[in-house]
Amino acid sequence: MINLYYAYQPIIDFFLLSVGFGYSQQIALRAGVFSIATAGFAAIGAYAVAILVTKTGFPIVGAVVLGMVIAGGAGLVLSLPLARLRGAFQAIATLAFVQIVISLLLFAEDFTGGALGITGIPRVVNTGVLIFIVAFVMYVMWSIGRTGLGRIFDALRQEESVAASLGVNIGRYHAFAFILSGAIGGLFGGLQSLYVFQIEPHNFGFAFMVNVLTVVILGGRTTLLGPIMGAAIMAILPELARPLAEYRPAVNGVILILVITFLPNGVGDEIVFWFRRRRHAAAAANRVKVKEAKNAVTSS
Amino acid sequence: MPSLHLEGVSKHFGGLKAVDGITMAVPPGEITGLIGPNGAGKSTVVNLISGVLSLTHGDIRLGGASISTDRADIVARQGVSRTFQNIRLLPEATVLENVMIGFHRREQSGLMANLFGLRAALREQREFRDRAHALLERFGLDEYAEFEAGNLAYGHQRRVEMARAIASEPAIVLLDEPVAGMNDVESDELATIFRELANSGMGLLLIEHNVGFVTRLCKQVYVLDSGRMIAAGDPHEVTRDPKVVAAYIGTSKH
Repeated sequence: MINLYYAYQPIIDFFLLSVGFGYSQQIALRAGVFSIATAGFAAIGAYAVAILVTKTGFPIVGAVVLGMVIAGGAGLVLSLPLARLRGAFQAIATLAFVQIVISLLLFAEDFTGGALGITGIPRVVNTGVLIFIVAFVMYVMWSIGRTGLGRIFDALRQEESVAASLGVNIGRYHAFAFILSGAIGGLFGGLQSLYVFQIEPHNFGFAFMVNVLTVVILGGRTTLLGPIMGAAIMAILPELARPLAEYRPAVNGVILILVITFLPNGVGDEIVFWFRRRRHAAAAANRVKVKEAKNAVTSS
Repeated sequence: MPSLHLEGVSKHFGGLKAVDGITMAVPPGEITGLIGPNGAGKSTVVNLISGVLSLTHGDIRLGGASISTDRADIVARQGVSRTFQNIRLLPEATVLENVMIGFHRREQSGLMANLFGLRAALREQREFRDRAHALLERFGLDEYAEFEAGNLAYGHQRRVEMARAIASEPAIVLLDEPVAGMNDVESDELATIFRELANSGMGLLLIEHNVGFVTRLCKQVYVLDSGRMIAAGDPHEVTRDPKVVAAYIGTSKH
């Protein structure tokens, strides 16, 4: 069992980081914001932590928290000019944001080490730390889902005009979604920094963006299970398909197309929806039974 | 409860005067009717009041304060609620959740309480859930509480929308063709609910096509034709007004 853990530890850690980035992506999509800024937030968090820890000797936990706050702040700042944009325009604007972040990282060589990045970051994050923090983020996402905030995000995604007609300040809640997406992305960016020893701008480029999006599209946009299923598929699949290693991007592409076509809500969301429907059907059936029993009593 | 006043309200789309200098009032505790043939500008009036469209001229006041330049969500937070002519529900959410979002205006718990699932936020949600069930019961919909709203029959969807609109107990409710497509039994049930709401102090503006329904319920009726107010007053007199009859069935050519 122990040996099995060591053999698969990098995959488990990769999975846990992907889940974290997945939630950063998911919270934006859930609120109807077509943001793909998670890569930029992750880069900000990762570099903030790397610079603070290696160059200023900042305490590690403080650096992670500060990285999270900076990335959340970046989310807020990003949400302001994007308030009037929707759909594809939003996606393109957030893509530009990621490009700007990466360009800045490349050009500000004195701080960021340019294309070579930053090395010698202490490797203090392990599987246990990742599990703990993923669990914490899951708790927050779960809380959002069972309080009014989740319902407002769902309303914004499904029909913005309805949300407005009930008094929801659309700009403010889109900003919340951006801040949350930024803070979660920055948090896991910082953890990645403290896990991989060395970071460079390229880590947060196009491939990263596609991976994060794939996690949520494969897994699901609205449920807690979504990013977990998506990240699990992304982590396990290459292992199962080792003989096809050379064709990995092609295999990923085919799976993505199949999932979008046949399980458009994502694997995780579809599973949760199935159970939800069953539970609702049972509740409805139960109500009918109670009603009939009541009628039987009154008529006799 | 405050009343709603429109004074000389106009909306021009380019050269088209969709609404042309209308003046009307929606007092609390009463059902006020707004009727008129297709394309008269009735829904535009609803969109102007609720802040979806901005006015070209005129003023809209709620209890003395002008709301004519306020954004839709601000108008709603001040207590003006509405339904949509083309029903707008959250199709993926359940009927219960659709009504629960209606309580947003009454939400007290802060962002942190929501993020960390604090007891205050959860207690508030439980309270909203109970009240939503009670509302659904009142509209005869409680057996559909767990259904996805998008799968409901048309008439039921309309009622879900109304339950959602009155959930936060607004001062003024704008009902855009609430009984369209309903049979007599269903519209009678709704008429009862509307009267109860008015008796509780709400001001209802009933936008309708169905003249009979409006005549039965309203104390005051306004008639709109091509954006202009052509008549106003007691429903029985208004519906006999030759101008109104002409607008509805046309005049004979001699």
